[in-house]
Amino acid sequence: MDGLIYSILGDPFVQMWQMPDFFIQVIWEGFVSGILYALIALGFVLIFKASGIFNFAQGIMVVFSGLTLVGLHALGVPAFVALLMTIVVMYGLAFGIERLVLRNLVNQPDIILFMATIGLTNILIGGGQWIFGSETKSMITTELLIPTGSSVWEPGGGLVIFQHIDIAAAVIAALLIVSLALFFSKTKVGRALRAVADDHQASLSVGISLNQIWVITWFAAGIVALVAGIMWGARSDVSFSLQIIALKALPVLVLGGFTSVPGAIVGGLIIGVGEKLFEIYWGPLLGSGVEGWFAYVIALVFLLFRPQGLFGEKIIERV
Amino acid sequence: MKDTKESFVTEDGRHIGSVIMEMRNITLRFGGVVAITNASFDIREGEIRAIIGPNGAGKSSMLNVINGFYHPQEGEIWFRGKKRPSLRPYEIAEQGIARTFQNIALFKGMTTVENVMTGRQLMLKKNFLWQLLRIGPALDEEVVHRRRCEEIIDFLEIQAIRNSPVGSLPYGLQKRVELARALAMEPKLLLLDEPMAGMNVEEKEDMSRFILDVNDQYGTTIALIEHDMSVVMDLADRVVVLDYGKMLADGTPDEVQKNQAVIDAYLGVEH
Repeated sequence: MDGLIYSILGDPFVQMWQMPDFFIQVIWEGFVSGILYALIALGFVLIFKASGIFNFAQGIMVVFSGLTLVGLHALGVPAFVALLMTIVVMYGLAFGIERLVLRNLVNQPDIILFMATIGLTNILIGGGQWIFGSETKSMITTELLIPTGSSVWEPGGGLVIFQHIDIAAAVIAALLIVSLALFFSKTKVGRALRAVADDHQASLSVGISLNQIWVITWFAAGIVALVAGIMWGARSDVSFSLQIIALKALPVLVLGGFTSVPGAIVGGLIIGVGEKLFEIYWGPLLGSGVEGWFAYVIALVFLLFRPQGLFGEKIIERV
Repeated sequence: MKDTKESFVTEDGRHIGSVIMEMRNITLRFGGVVAITNASFDIREGEIRAIIGPNGAGKSSMLNVINGFYHPQEGEIWFRGKKRPSLRPYEIAEQGIARTFQNIALFKGMTTVENVMTGRQLMLKKNFLWQLLRIGPALDEEVVHRRRCEEIIDFLEIQAIRNSPVGSLPYGLQKRVELARALAMEPKLLLLDEPMAGMNVEEKEDMSRFILDVNDQYGTTIALIEHDMSVVMDLADRVVVLDYGKMLADGTPDEVQKNQAVIDAYLGVEH
């Protein structure tokens, strides 16, 4: 019994203390995947805030944007032109979704809109496989001038390796998040987005077009998806199985709150770092594969004790 | 008085302009339910026009028709001398029609100032890149509109709550913030849906004073729905009475009060 308690509460911390360089490495790895979780969660939050829709298609949008980029490049289009064209495609997608789906489902219950996004997911999977084929592709990392080397840091004789691609992912994600935050708080369109998130009728009455705002939100979510697609794609590959990582965004959202941009970021980091630490230091106790379920257990605990998440709006239902 | 197209001065010295909005034979149906039947009336520049009637008379529907939330199946709407095509609500806001709501529709996550600033939304023209950088023309523009909003906030005496999130404010103050937001649009026509609903006597007096002041100082044309008859009689220049979606009467408060059909509708009549 004592041995068990020691291996839970003692040994992992002793290991952390004895090998601080390895501990830093684990934290860093967790931090990078956390930032990428946050990116995916951010896509969900944008759409959920503006229209109250839980966009099931966010994961496939990540894959779709990545495939479009790689596919265009494979046709001989230069990398940065392909990037621009992909952005145009994501705008077209946002525009099409608003025209064909959202506009026709105005005032329908949330569950109907949720179902519509599941339909959208299937269309994007089917369409994506039809256009790009279903085989795994590698991201055009070097063509997009994303660094691929690694740097070594040796604190006090230890060894920590930073992949440049991870550093790039962290920096780009941070830039994207900061510019989105500024866009939301400082611009006219940002103010309109927040207004629509609060009250549709009132927004209309001050002259805000809901349709226009929805296109902008889905476009912003598409851009976030594209960045997530590039970064995840660069770390692994671009394939349809990537959309599974979108499921990881769910616990992030439960943790951070569905309506909070800072929540998505903090939630992503907690899940990313938490699951890595748990996998490495406590995982051996339970057999491996802890990374697969750790996030969901955390989410479950949160649902029990703080269902609105860390930063979400408190859920008050009048009866 | 209904037939004159020119402006005139009322007995108590109020200047009433020419017709700014005209509703011609408006009929509005929801499936088989007829909300408004063949209603016609006009609103003149600078006046306070009241729409009254018992519950379910179609008053709010009428306001929703004017502001574009509903589109009537029959009839024409003339605004500022032109027949208005079927427009979306935000396009009608662009034409200069602002409104408040019966159940208060504020942006609850924003502060009072931010809410009022949304009223200037249509007037902010600068590119979002300028706005993002907060320099040059965008900053000047922001400052100009912000100043205007602060004036309105002062005017409605809500300075004390200018930085409070509106969701936490008492009901009466929320109504006032909503009025401020509508005023920030500098509307040609301001629609107020039960501006005094749920208020105590003191709040009602305040709100009446503000409505009169707005009309007086900014010259804003106002159409309002109200249940409290004494308030309506004090504020309104002319009154439209609706009952079961039909027009019962149209005239000055005195004329309307003496109208037998109106008295029957309000007091009930033996069938």
